Amino acid sequence: MSRYTPYLLVAPFFLVFGAFGVFPLLYTAWVSTHHWHLIAGDGGFTGLTNYRDLLADPLFYNALGNTLSIFLLATIPQLALALGIASLLRRRGAAWQVLVLVPNVVPVVAVALVFGQLLGRDYGMVNFLLGRVGVGPVAWQADTWAAHLGVATMVMWRWTGYTALLYLAAMRAVPRELYEAAELDGAGGWQRFRAVTLPGIRPTLLFTAIASAIGGVQLFTEPQLFDGSGLAGAGGSDRQFQTVAMYLYEVGFSRFNAGYAAAMTWLLFLLCATFAITATTIARRIVRR
Amino acid sequence: MRRVWALIAVLVVLVGGCSANADQRVRITVATFGEFGYEPLFAEYERLNPGVDLVGRVTDFDSHHKGLITALAAGRGAADVVAVEEQYLPALRRSRDKLVDLSRFGARDLRGQWSAWKWEQGVVGDAVLGLGTDMGGLAMCYRRDLIERAGLPTDRDALAALWPTWQAYAEVADRFSARVPDARFTDSAGTVYTAMLNQAGENYFRTADDAFIGDTNPAVATAFELAGAIGAKHQTAALTTFTQPWNVGINQGAFATMTCPAWMLAQIKQAGGPGGAGVWDVTTVPGRAGNWGGSYLVVPAQGAHTEAAYAAAKWLTAPAQQKRLFESDNILPSQPEVYRDPAVLAHTDPYFRDAPIGRIFAASSDAVRPNHRGVRDADVRPVFGRALGRVEDGKQTVEQAWRQAVDEARTVLR
Repeated sequence: MSRYTPYLLVAPFFLVFGAFGVFPLLYTAWVSTHHWHLIAGDGGFTGLTNYRDLLADPLFYNALGNTLSIFLLATIPQLALALGIASLLRRRGAAWQVLVLVPNVVPVVAVALVFGQLLGRDYGMVNFLLGRVGVGPVAWQADTWAAHLGVATMVMWRWTGYTALLYLAAMRAVPRELYEAAELDGAGGWQRFRAVTLPGIRPTLLFTAIASAIGGVQLFTEPQLFDGSGLAGAGGSDRQFQTVAMYLYEVGFSRFNAGYAAAMTWLLFLLCATFAITATTIARRIVRR
Repeated sequence: MRRVWALIAVLVVLVGGCSANADQRVRITVATFGEFGYEPLFAEYERLNPGVDLVGRVTDFDSHHKGLITALAAGRGAADVVAVEEQYLPALRRSRDKLVDLSRFGARDLRGQWSAWKWEQGVVGDAVLGLGTDMGGLAMCYRRDLIERAGLPTDRDALAALWPTWQAYAEVADRFSARVPDARFTDSAGTVYTAMLNQAGENYFRTADDAFIGDTNPAVATAFELAGAIGAKHQTAALTTFTQPWNVGINQGAFATMTCPAWMLAQIKQAGGPGGAGVWDVTTVPGRAGNWGGSYLVVPAQGAHTEAAYAAAKWLTAPAQQKRLFESDNILPSQPEVYRDPAVLAHTDPYFRDAPIGRIFAASSDAVRPNHRGVRDADVRPVFGRALGRVEDGKQTVEQAWRQAVDEARTVLR
């Protein structure tokens, strides 16, 4: 009996993972090869038709472009900013660290509502302030770039502090002797940062790059709630800020085309993997050993 | 193994049988959203039908409908009687086998209770899917202060006389914009467009065979051009109904008129606040007729007591109950016999300068013609709505927006 005990002990994880991880994945693959209406159910096997249609769907590419654009707008400044904040925090107490984490603890819906108010076209605070300095009102939702920037700001606001804390923890683990040696060699502050700190926190940099890549591909709540006009998932009158996850939602839950949505889910999954690998490669290249 | 299953089956039957024996009452759940005012009626129904327990389940609009769709897809979890708002009806008509055809229980005999258009919306072919509850007779709400500044008559009848048609309404918009540059004439192009569409017999799909005709139907094109032109001239505030900026717009006087169904008056009061009393008024909508919103009670086929559920739905939507709901909660009845009742017709509201809203809404719904919604209506409708949004945002001309919308609609329906 004792021979099976270890298996018994790890079994719960595999059961839960199987039920909520593997099964939905395989079931989604099954649905994606069918014509499947969400309410009416299975409408017959169609093979790879859903995938073929999806790859020829201009709206899918539009969503893909938006996702990529928002991801870049949100991630690059976020990681850079987090690095800066982390360096500043090294000489500060725990109170500051808690403060930096606050935006991450605020529920995303609350963040989206507040930003929606700030970035209102007619009565928004930001437009009011811009008006004070003579810049005309920006139609934050209607204009493509303004909308991307608005959504990216929300993402940045939520995650910069969290990333900064990860960096801070990693920085504290870099051996002090390395800095002393560098100082003896006559390295200035910036050089120490480039030659000692960055390589020292490389694993964490890679982790954050991958994590934000995956988060970026799945971006949904922020842009969904940024659209003040409804919850259909269209992302503006010209789909100007519709991300892939939103398009997935629109197809699956507004048009009830579950087969097509399932196919998109699988492409999204592959996309996540590709994104993560690319992000790792780039981050690796930037921070050489 | 088979024996084990047999045993389980026996146990299940036994347990089920026992609980049924212990409690002879049939339990019927009624799922609604927002405010239906049903609670006091449930108690009375139970008094009249000692064998039945009516249990209410109230959620908000979005989760209610999404929950219903999930339950229908999963085949379990739906209430016995479910309220469905008209915009979700086409989607349900598409999967009518998930709902009980109420004609099985004799629903066809009730037909005469409702206005023809209200009845027709709940019917697919031979099947009766839903019994009408309330309706949203359409009127035009307007701000007296802005209308006065534009030099237009503030009297309801005189103002309505200026816009017998939507064409005339658009001309009034021009007059208004020339005189009042700091406010818009209406809230959005979308509401004008929707009101016009609802006055036509056919919209995006042909009544005869449900084929897509959105690209060729002159009613759609005319409405799109007229509403689009108003949007392109910046005579709309480009606000989406029910959003927070829209509420602020009502409060701050960002626009002078908007189409308003009966149930929207409560929202105007809320957005306008006490300071808005006497500012807004109500008059007849161009084209005289219209309906926006209103619900149906449907019976999901997965329920255990569909016949008892039907009986409850039939009673809840009967004229006597509709009258009581109007008296208790101002819920506008969808049955001519009830809304022509002197108590309903005489209804006025001090917030809207004692406008005779009972008479206005009743007249509006009397004139409504049945309006065919295709089963895929909900897939196409938002496409054209967004197109008008692009025009209002100044991104596209009416022509460009129309062409893109037609293309997108065809793609969606592929």
